[in-house]
Amino acid sequence: MPIIELRDVSKLYGFGDATTVALDEVSLAIEEGEFVAIMGPSGSGKSTLMNIIGLLDRATHGNYLLNGRSVDRLRPARRAKVRRDTVGFVFQTFNLLPRLTVLENVALPLAYRGVSLNKRLKMAENILERVGLQEREYYYPGQLSSGQTQSASIARALVNNPKIIIADEPTGNLDSASSRLVMELFADIHRTGSTVLLVTHNPELTRYASRVVYMHDGVIIHDEKTALGEVAQTARQVMYTIPTTTMEDDLAGVSALMQAIPGLKNRSKKSKKQKKTAKKHSHNRPPRKKVKA
Amino acid sequence: MTLPHRHDISLAIRSMRSRKGQSFLTVLGIVIGIVAVVSIVDISQGVKHQVSGQINQLGKDLITVRPGQLENKNAAGIITGLNILSPFGNVSTLNQSDINTVASTNGVKEAVPLTAVSGQITVLDQSPTDALVIGTGDQLPDAIDQNLAYGSFFNSSNDTTNVAIIGQSVAENIFDEDIPLGHQFSFLGQQFIVQGIFNQFDTAPLSLNANFNNAIFIPFSVAEQLTNDTSPIDEILAKPSNPNNVNNVASSINTNLLKAHRGQQDFSVLRQDQSLAVTNSVLNSLTDLIGIIAGISLLVGGVGIMNVTLVSVTDRTREIGIRKAIGATNRQILDQFIIEAVVMSSTGGVVGILLSFLVDYILRVTTNLQPIITWQILIIATGVALVIGVVFGALPAFQASRKDPIDALRYE
Repeated sequence: MPIIELRDVSKLYGFGDATTVALDEVSLAIEEGEFVAIMGPSGSGKSTLMNIIGLLDRATHGNYLLNGRSVDRLRPARRAKVRRDTVGFVFQTFNLLPRLTVLENVALPLAYRGVSLNKRLKMAENILERVGLQEREYYYPGQLSSGQTQSASIARALVNNPKIIIADEPTGNLDSASSRLVMELFADIHRTGSTVLLVTHNPELTRYASRVVYMHDGVIIHDEKTALGEVAQTARQVMYTIPTTTMEDDLAGVSALMQAIPGLKNRSKKSKKQKKTAKKHSHNRPPRKKVKA
Repeated sequence: MTLPHRHDISLAIRSMRSRKGQSFLTVLGIVIGIVAVVSIVDISQGVKHQVSGQINQLGKDLITVRPGQLENKNAAGIITGLNILSPFGNVSTLNQSDINTVASTNGVKEAVPLTAVSGQITVLDQSPTDALVIGTGDQLPDAIDQNLAYGSFFNSSNDTTNVAIIGQSVAENIFDEDIPLGHQFSFLGQQFIVQGIFNQFDTAPLSLNANFNNAIFIPFSVAEQLTNDTSPIDEILAKPSNPNNVNNVASSINTNLLKAHRGQQDFSVLRQDQSLAVTNSVLNSLTDLIGIIAGISLLVGGVGIMNVTLVSVTDRTREIGIRKAIGATNRQILDQFIIEAVVMSSTGGVVGILLSFLVDYILRVTTNLQPIITWQILIIATGVALVIGVVFGALPAFQASRKDPIDALRYE
């Protein structure tokens, strides 16, 4: 029995001719213990799908069976409780409460379950140790690096021991070292038997997944199983065709090149020459950046 | 629903602290409201106590005849209006013969006139001082149940001579001595000798004019002669021989005086319980009026709480989204915001009550008022603060709890 089963699920926004179709009769079954990476361009309905699976949102049409039970008609309070006990969310923007310490943030979901204060702080401590943040318990989120902040929010997602972890571009705001740290945590969670849903733009990250789902315009266009540790076949193709660098990346590349060229540092005021050199060099080695993605 | 936990309350306090300015102003609104309500009720309680004390001090069975009509009654005998002017200083409609009329009424043991003589007194070479000089009869100490601390009251043997009995404050303030027996002072060109000093009249004074501790008592006939019989009679005190017969005696006095005044009801015969009723009804309507104003300020404080909570709900939209995403039910979000509002309003309530004690102290030190803080009003004030928190916190909290988690998470 799949832990998550969507049958012809649609999500519509707006009315009449202003209606937007975010999901168009999507059917998807995910078995317990799968690590599913969901890929697709912006606006393809990935986040909407995650919100429906995570019980933050309701489908307009279709059926959703969670653990074999229909959750379409649950009342809000019941939905909140099922969400609390079954799903852990990890967001791109971390979404820790800035006024609470790391420990309090991680313990918060337990508070909503009615666990006593001492017990939940103890449980939160254990989870923080698991993600390697035991030294940062009494820090505020603003005092942590972005990698540590994301680790803390993963700890928060784990504290209720949910069967499903939903991560919506968790590495989107992280540098590559932090990304690896965070992804190793997800891999670790996956190894303990949890189901992980990961929304990402980065094909590299599909090497952690056991299955990759591609979405476009609210429809699943491709669904493939992959071996752990390998980038998915389709993702590998996409990697070279989809432009993965942005304007900022280009500028950062140019300045990094300028740093690398000896003798350029002291002549920063002579902007004409600088531009020329920079252009020349960037023409010389464009593929490296793109492969890196 | 889980009961509000210590942790929730500490969270609420922290969230108040993080918005210091707003929270301060809101709490201030509640504080002002509570202080206003508590102080007004306290002051009026105190005044009532003082007035009734002053009236009781004169003896419960004492009948007072005053010039003019103190209250207007309708046909059914219900008081419909009041002339709340001081008994002293009115144009008097009582005269010498009225004293005899009262004294000769059946059941009256004694009748004592009171007449205020205006003027300044001079002690030795000091500069003249204002003093309340009252001309009265021999039986005053008996009529008002007040003994002398030193010396003796004038009696029939010397009640035409220039002797004076003084109150405690006069001894201290004017003569600068504890027992100025035998001292002299001049008043309206005549020399008087202090022959006795009253015990302290226990009730605190409402106005200095009516404070017998500040008064100098001289024989009535001397007062008459000083003013060439022009001094108006401000009050006639009558004491019934049987204390249980007050009502009958009062009505006979009224009948007799009415006859003497040819049917003109230009005087009032008051029993002590009536005087109490009169002053109380005046005070009650004043208290009601000011209480309403104070209530409005509490209401404004409550609207302040609503405003702060509404702003806080908007400011914290994202937080609400996060909390819902990690499993908070609508009810739990509702509780959280209501707890915050209640923490704010009860902080205001506690601070307000503490400040009321301070106001009470300041009033006691700087004025003649003696406000009384009762435990009832403290409980009411606390209750009101809590109710305001819940009522005015509820609407914004309800809004917060109904927010869509996805929109809330997207909110910047």
